[in-house]
Amino acid sequence: MNRPNIRFRQVGRPLTRTDAPGKVTGRTPYAGDYVMPGMLHMGVVRADIASARLVRLDVSKARALAGVACVLTAADLPERTASTDIPGQVGQKRLDTGQQILVRERVRYFGEPLALIAAETRDIADHAMELVEIELEPIPGVYDPLEAMKPGAPVVTAPDNIVAERRIRKGDVEAGFAAADLVVENTFRTPFQEHAFLEPEVGLAWVDENDVVNIRVSTQVIEHFRPIADAIGVPHNKVRIRGALVGGGFGGKEDLTVEVYLALLTKRTGRPVRLEYTREDSFVGHGKRHPFILTYRTGVTKEGKITALDVTMVADSGAYVFLSPYVLLYALVAAPGPYRVDNLNVFARAVATNNMFTSAFRGFGALQACAAYEQQMDEVAQAVGLDRLELRRRNFLKTGEPMSTGFVPPSAIWTDQCAERAWAALGEPAPAEGPRCVGRGIACYQQSYGRLTFLHDTSEAWVGVEMDGTVVVRSGVTDIGAGQVSALGQIAVEVLGVTLDNVVVYNSDSAVTPLAGTTTATRALYMTGNAVKQAAEGVRARLVDRAARAFGVEPDAVDLGDNLAFVVDDPEKSMPLVELVRTCGAEGIHRSELAMFRAPFTDFLDPETGQGQAHPDYAYGAHAVEVAVDVDTGEVEVLKSVAAHDVGQCINPAAVEGQIQGGAQNGQGYALSEEMLYEEGRLITPSFSEYLMPTAMDMPKVECIILESRSGVGPYGAKGIGEPAMTPVAPAIANAVADAIGVRVFEMPITPERVVRALKRRDEAARSGPVA
Amino acid sequence: MYVPFELEMPGDLAGALGALAAGTGAKTMAMAGGTNLIVDMRAKRERPDRVVGLGRVGALRGMECGEEWISIGGGTTVTDLLQSKEIAEAAPSLVESSRLFAGLMVRNTATVAGNIACGSPAADLVPPLLALDADVTLASVAGTRTLPLDEYFLGYKRDVRRPDELITRVSWPRLPQSSDQSFINAFYKLARRKGDAITVTGVAVTLVVAGGVCTKARVALGAVAPVVFRARDAESVLEGRALTPARIDEAARAAAASSCPIDDVRASAAYRLHTVEALTRRLIAQAWRRSTDQ
Ligand SMILES: Cc1cc2nc3c(=O)[nH]c(=O)nc-3n(C[C@H](O)[C@H](O)[C@H](O)COP(=O)(O)OP(=O)(O)OC[C@H]3O[C@@H](n4cnc5c(N)ncnc54)[C@H](O)[C@@H]3O)c2cc1C
Repeated sequence: MNRPNIRFRQVGRPLTRTDAPGKVTGRTPYAGDYVMPGMLHMGVVRADIASARLVRLDVSKARALAGVACVLTAADLPERTASTDIPGQVGQKRLDTGQQILVRERVRYFGEPLALIAAETRDIADHAMELVEIELEPIPGVYDPLEAMKPGAPVVTAPDNIVAERRIRKGDVEAGFAAADLVVENTFRTPFQEHAFLEPEVGLAWVDENDVVNIRVSTQVIEHFRPIADAIGVPHNKVRIRGALVGGGFGGKEDLTVEVYLALLTKRTGRPVRLEYTREDSFVGHGKRHPFILTYRTGVTKEGKITALDVTMVADSGAYVFLSPYVLLYALVAAPGPYRVDNLNVFARAVATNNMFTSAFRGFGALQACAAYEQQMDEVAQAVGLDRLELRRRNFLKTGEPMSTGFVPPSAIWTDQCAERAWAALGEPAPAEGPRCVGRGIACYQQSYGRLTFLHDTSEAWVGVEMDGTVVVRSGVTDIGAGQVSALGQIAVEVLGVTLDNVVVYNSDSAVTPLAGTTTATRALYMTGNAVKQAAEGVRARLVDRAARAFGVEPDAVDLGDNLAFVVDDPEKSMPLVELVRTCGAEGIHRSELAMFRAPFTDFLDPETGQGQAHPDYAYGAHAVEVAVDVDTGEVEVLKSVAAHDVGQCINPAAVEGQIQGGAQNGQGYALSEEMLYEEGRLITPSFSEYLMPTAMDMPKVECIILESRSGVGPYGAKGIGEPAMTPVAPAIANAVADAIGVRVFEMPITPERVVRALKRRDEAARSGPVA
Repeated sequence: MYVPFELEMPGDLAGALGALAAGTGAKTMAMAGGTNLIVDMRAKRERPDRVVGLGRVGALRGMECGEEWISIGGGTTVTDLLQSKEIAEAAPSLVESSRLFAGLMVRNTATVAGNIACGSPAADLVPPLLALDADVTLASVAGTRTLPLDEYFLGYKRDVRRPDELITRVSWPRLPQSSDQSFINAFYKLARRKGDAITVTGVAVTLVVAGGVCTKARVALGAVAPVVFRARDAESVLEGRALTPARIDEAARAAAASSCPIDDVRASAAYRLHTVEALTRRLIAQAWRRSTDQ
């Protein structure tokens, strides 16, 4: 299954990314840098109660303010909604779960938009916002998903609060538990998380000479032009999204953000309109990571073989559906982790509340499952008295074995190697001193790459060679900072035998670059990388064919490299690529190719058993950490952080490392310090003075161990690393903390305060004597 | 985003004091680094009509490190503190506090006077300055007065400063360091993360030790009461005695007993009480150990 070692010229090298120079020198314009003459500035007026009826909304004073060009409320709009379902390049019918564009009557979450204002300056818009008179009558809301499932609980949206329900029924769980020597049950809680991109949501919209609404916007998904068109009531070809390099996405720019508001106001005023979210807007302007409550019941033999697993999951889906059904599906599929569990029950529900709506976030449900199953593996190991790594070894899913849904991942499964390597790299333990206890933890994972296969995902790319031998790539793909565009360039030049400085990639324009689908789901490299490779290979085949004729050899005797076409066994026979391209041009040989890559298309999983194929393939790896815990204050310091991932094949190892470093930080914040506190649905931590991501002072050096099985379904056997980099980090930290202090904190984030409480629990238990 | 205001940028202290004095009727506020004021204005917690920028007032800068006294201008920035060798030797707690203060950009502009005048219970420079027995000098067009920092705060965000006064200097007596006397001066900032976070519990401790006896003790606590304050009960348990674990314990409990923290988004009152006791115990024990090691 592994591909043989091949010699690459461009792929696999830590080349300077094509997007790097512009970013480093500040030449790169982000969406927020674009301005137009005569443009208006927008503000969004929001509800400050999470569950309420809109009694009165009086915008007359705001409208009357000098310099205000337009104020829109629901009363000014037809009854349309903005789609919240499956963004991107898919033909499947969207669910009818859209969100009201502006509150008509019912406010369902804190921050829900009530009115849009466009004015000559941002200051005037701000002033006008203060002049809007709002009367909200509170309605009893529900803020806890467990409460929301009880009979009589306030209903967020009819008919009931259950947004989605999914199951896996596999093997015979009763028999499995009967065969177990021990049953271990625990409940874990995971928190909300904010994407906290450097660049808040921002966009600029205008209507062009063809009556097309153009929107320059920071987004992960340019295919939103379709739901935007539907929301404002124009044909799909009358909306054009022009992206820009994105200052961070992480799933938070996967759904619509500012686009519909911009489109409405530019249509209404006929003038360019700009909207930039403040950080406070951003905190309530896009969906958060779903908090989960996960109960794991594991049957295990004395020898450490898992005989049965029963899992229930409840996810807080917040006030609108958004991607909850799919996040839940990912969690369901990931429930047992990278382990072979033949007797498996999983019951997962996503439940509506009047909390902030939740949607995509790096890891997408599979990460929350990992937070639970990897903590549970440590608890099981302790219960059966086995080394933590040994218990895992005895249960790892192996290459060629069926996973939770019965599907056999097509690629190699190297969890064991990754775990061994990461664990070994921790080296000598740091000494425990005084109040500092030291502990270690590891977590392994399974994370899909590529979208759900029932979505029938496709991606397009166009590759062409210019007359001077330089290369152009066109593809709609958005680059959210991970080097997506540069990787496409690297693949194209590998195939065409030139170097990275010879390629320009045009991306992210829904009207003129072939649609590539979303940059989400760790799919950009897999899908669009394959599309670019296919397109470049199409061009290459024609060039090579022509060269072979010139050399008088068979086409497979010819290679392209170093800007030359040459005969492999007789490199004396060569010609500059420029010459070959000119010849092709003169003879009318097609120097470009438009290709479509199609992921495997499947039906939906069996609704009763959850069996079938959910994703194209899966990535595997491990993260190990060492922590010091101050037992007086509960402070946790991460001393060492080691990641080992099988990425299949690195296209650019430097970019891969970048993802791993970022994932380590993202996961560490999730585990330890990032906390969104809500009071009756009202966010009381709406800024970076309360919402604390790890800083450079909090991060240890992250060690990256990159393994390459070359077995993935991406280009050259690549898998993916965007989401996987983060998935195992938090449970590894949780396990290390438990290892250090001998007691587990079952709820993340593991704040100093929670650690102190757990220590008190431990000490009280010790005082009241040994437990049976 | 901001309510409009007038900005004045006087070139010297007299000009600044004059501008503040002239502000009758209109709400006038001084602005040093602006790292509190701008944030408060953006959030509309403060709505000054006039802002007097202190950036050009040279008299507010400068440090004098004499034999007996150390005196720093109110406009000394946190970065200035970090770059001074003299301060590093004379007031390690202030340097530790500066090291963990905000991030680099804020440290480069945030001032000592601004930290005191903002009146936050979590102001990080205040516990060290209280533990150093610092005085503040206030100036207005009517004259200057100097008072102990300990008498400066009246309650939550309330102080003795009149709106037309500026904090021009902060001074403290040098701690004794000789063959028969030594001092230990330390600070612990407990926060929800290491870099750039608001303090949950801050403890500053000074011990002067001579002949195996603690001759002077200062324990100043941050973020555990409406104001930063000195835990006098804890100090008196320690002063005039050789310290034993039991005595240190008693002092730590006294420190917690004199605290009256609140629950907020960063921590519960119970956690603050727990940690103020644990950290007071730790800092005194460490200080005592170090002084007896010397
Ligand atoms: C990102 C960030 C991180 C921060 N981190 C910390 C931290 O870790 N620890 C901490 O303690 N604080 C922190 N702060 C708060 C702030 O930086 C400090 O309180 C700082 O010392 C304020 O000084 P300033 O010069 O900026 O004051 P300004 O904002 O200019 O003024 C603050 C107040 O003091 C008054 N004032 C200023 N100068 C004088 C004077 N000479 N005489 C009388 N009144 C005066 C002003 O009128 C105003 O009321 C942080 C702030 C930010 C934005």
